[in-house]
Amino acid sequence: MNKKIFISVALIVVFCGLFCSLALSQTGTKKKRPLPYEYGRVIIDNYSEKANLAPVVFEHWIHRSMFTCRVCHVDIGFAMKAGATDIKAADNAHGYYCGTCHNGKMVADGKTVFQACSRKVNLEDEKRCERCHSYGRKVASDFDFFQFSQPLPKERFGNGLDWEKSEELGLIKPASFLPGVSGQKNSLAVQKDFALNAKVEGMPNIIFSHKKHTVWNGCELCHPDIFMGVKRGTVKYSMVDISQGKSCGACHTTVAFPLTDCQRCHSKPVQP
Amino acid sequence: MVFKARFETTISAVLLFLGLAGLCGMRAIGGPSASASQADEAQESWQKEFDNVCAKTEDAMTFSQEELTDLIRRCDSLQPRIEKLDESRKKVYLERLRKCRGLYAYVLDAKRKEKK
Repeated sequence: MNKKIFISVALIVVFCGLFCSLALSQTGTKKKRPLPYEYGRVIIDNYSEKANLAPVVFEHWIHRSMFTCRVCHVDIGFAMKAGATDIKAADNAHGYYCGTCHNGKMVADGKTVFQACSRKVNLEDEKRCERCHSYGRKVASDFDFFQFSQPLPKERFGNGLDWEKSEELGLIKPASFLPGVSGQKNSLAVQKDFALNAKVEGMPNIIFSHKKHTVWNGCELCHPDIFMGVKRGTVKYSMVDISQGKSCGACHTTVAFPLTDCQRCHSKPVQP
Repeated sequence: MVFKARFETTISAVLLFLGLAGLCGMRAIGGPSASASQADEAQESWQKEFDNVCAKTEDAMTFSQEELTDLIRRCDSLQPRIEKLDESRKKVYLERLRKCRGLYAYVLDAKRKEKK
């Protein structure tokens, strides 16, 4: 009798296990919500592990506090998807990509920016390599997120910071021009904000601020790669697509405030 | 007398030869640096053209269809020149050129659709 019960229980456990693994393989596992200092973190491993180095950990928060998006994603040429730039150590050593600033010469906040990759590497350079190639390692950074974020206005999601307000208050001053890299451009004419209708009844409509976006991004970062539609209303946006990284989701699922912060976009008051 | 005339002719020929050789030598010595500076100039010229063409993206909306078409043409003629650069530079500038051309084409398309 005991043997029969044991076999039945064992069969139930095996069945449940198989069902759960099948269900998870179809729907995926729930993503862990990143902590404020982790939000925007990019792990780059195109060539690192093949070269016996730890993958690179790139922190968006420290870089975005110093530069606008367009400096890196237009002028320096970083792609908008992790790993898509195909950065090689030689590129950095020649002064491109990370090496544009991380060249051991540039001075920021009174400190010389460390060199990213060099043509010749010896054992003494190991510590320097580890500053970026730090995935899975305990590496001390020059920048502490909690210290950095203390004076900045807070928000609920993402990095837990209101980056826009921080700039308005002059607490951060992201540069939009990098000498020798960025081209001299005229200042952009202010683009009009516009409203987009929400699909769900009762949900406030979206106020899209062109101004806020163009100040940090310019035009060519979004058009036509991210927003292809030319005539307003011809392209339908859905939250499913956005959550998969399309249109607004290109930034608002990764670096800019996340989709959970509904009212920052759905901000037009609903008429009673 | 005949000897003196022959001597003078020989001396003149030698001097002429040396002078010509000197000129050729100067040219030969000057050759590589001249071609290096030509290469520098060529490099600078694509960079200048790139900066010039892609510095106008902020004004894209204000351009006429003809102006936008001309900018796209200039982008297209820059591409083969950038493709000849070293790998790193080629990768960076082709991507920058793609973005810049893409915007002009996007605005041109918008303007054409607006007219219809």
